[in-house]
Amino acid sequence: MAIGAIIGGVASIAGGLFGSSAAKRRAREAAREKRRLQKKLTELEDSRQEIINPYEGVQDLSSMISNPFANLSVATGAAEMKVEQADISLANTLDTLRATGASAGGATALAQAALQSKKGVAASIEMQEKQNEDKRAAGEKQKQQALMSEQQRLQQADVAGESFVFNQRENREMQQLDRVASQLGASRQAQAQAQSDQTGAITGMFGSLAGIAGGIAGRQ
Amino acid sequence: MENKNLFQNLYLKQFNESNAIAYNERFVSGSSDYNFQLLDNAYRNAGRTYAKLKIAIETNNCMSEDCALELTGIKNLEESPQASLDFLSSLIAELGVTEESSFDPNNNYKYTAANSLMNGRPGFSKTDGYQAYLDLLPDGSQQIVFLGPAFETPLVINSAALNALLESDTALVVSTPDINKDMLRLLTEVGLFAQEMISENGELASGAKISEEYVMMNPDGSFDYEIIDLGKGKGRNVLKYNLEKIEKKVTPFINAEVAGLMSSEQDVIAAWNVYISKDTSVEEDAQMAQNANAGDTSWIYELDLPLQQDKKVLFETKYKEYFMNNYLKQFTTNQLPTVKEDAAVFDLSEAKKAKAQKFLDDNDLN
Repeated sequence: MAIGAIIGGVASIAGGLFGSSAAKRRAREAAREKRRLQKKLTELEDSRQEIINPYEGVQDLSSMISNPFANLSVATGAAEMKVEQADISLANTLDTLRATGASAGGATALAQAALQSKKGVAASIEMQEKQNEDKRAAGEKQKQQALMSEQQRLQQADVAGESFVFNQRENREMQQLDRVASQLGASRQAQAQAQSDQTGAITGMFGSLAGIAGGIAGRQ
Repeated sequence: MENKNLFQNLYLKQFNESNAIAYNERFVSGSSDYNFQLLDNAYRNAGRTYAKLKIAIETNNCMSEDCALELTGIKNLEESPQASLDFLSSLIAELGVTEESSFDPNNNYKYTAANSLMNGRPGFSKTDGYQAYLDLLPDGSQQIVFLGPAFETPLVINSAALNALLESDTALVVSTPDINKDMLRLLTEVGLFAQEMISENGELASGAKISEEYVMMNPDGSFDYEIIDLGKGKGRNVLKYNLEKIEKKVTPFINAEVAGLMSSEQDVIAAWNVYISKDTSVEEDAQMAQNANAGDTSWIYELDLPLQQDKKVLFETKYKEYFMNNYLKQFTTNQLPTVKEDAAVFDLSEAKKAKAQKFLDDNDLN
């Protein structure tokens, strides 16, 4: 056989050499594949999109919450008019009393009526103020509740966002780990198998090798 | 400039594959001597040398102080048979790359000739003027020398140099990456096909279709078909794909694939020369036409390594084109509708009218 003649030595050496060289090539191919996969994986990891927290844009809207009843004013215009009208009416009545010569008792009664009217006006203002105070308090309560809801909404968004990002990253990383483990595992296995084949081929050659070494020693 | 490697490699490949020598009467009538006897010749005087060194040490007649040289010589000789086998098997493995179907003919043609000699190919015998020697060198390394008509100048390979190359994960002869296998696998990885379209062995199942999210839709959610003319007034719908969306989806995966290839730049040159540069296939290369591979746009290992940035960018661009044109395009053209009723052959003029009306309806243009 030509190959045996080319290599020389005992016949089995040539066969062993070719077996071992084929295994070496397979081992190299597997090593190359492993290197390629690792680089590819790194590139995929580096180029992947950043995970976006969809809740990141949630804004605190607390500043927009206010008590619409905080600055209610008391409507005093009508009351003032009522007081003025009472005063004018009193003055007119007094003029009439003076002109007709009416008794002082009538004037006193008039003054009391005017006083009663003014008391009514004061009571009306007081009532308005009381109502306003009630509304302000109710408004403040609503505002506090709204503020609390807004803070709760923000907290929930933070938690949901964190959880989303964590889950996404966890999923991605697990997928990548699984993938690399599987692919690299396969290439490592191929490399190991090829190396084992190589060892097998070399072991097969050792008989022949011993022949050469024996030849050397024998010629000492 | 003439690319000598390209010319010689293609010639040697053709010479070996054509069996031309079988029709050469002079060759057929003569005997061919393949008795290169590499090991026998290399170790012919090894026994005598070993004995001399041993005697010198035992009789205290060493040439060097403390017999250092003699002891090293003995050690080298004792280790040399195993080293020879390792060297030869590594060499045969490297030279074997020249026989791969996708072998890049821009590799040094002398390796193709050496492989022909090592495999006892017709036309590469001693009778044909070839010779090969294995030499044991004083420094413990070994060298193999190939001579003959195809070599012009002797090809000398040193075992220590070869080991160093192999240890650093590089190669004497570059093996072209299997681009076809890589791209078929890439098809399943780019995320265009649903998981059920991928078979257990990781390949696309027959009849695989790109997911519907990449198919063009009308505003009402129905498929926006392209109508193709079948002739004789008949037509049929085919799916229209959102190619921009598809490109956006696949680009990061293609880039990662290229980055993987770039882990070995000589592989990139081989892939460029054999496939990517001129958009060719192995089958075309096998036709032995010099312009079927990169030809005059070949990248040269001796000159172009390490790869410059502009070449890397060009490779990435062309690799993507190669994938899109040769592997992905078949899934985005002439794809029949998935809705059974829409897949039937129809009257072309009616369908065109209906399509125009639908456009008017959808866009409130009536």
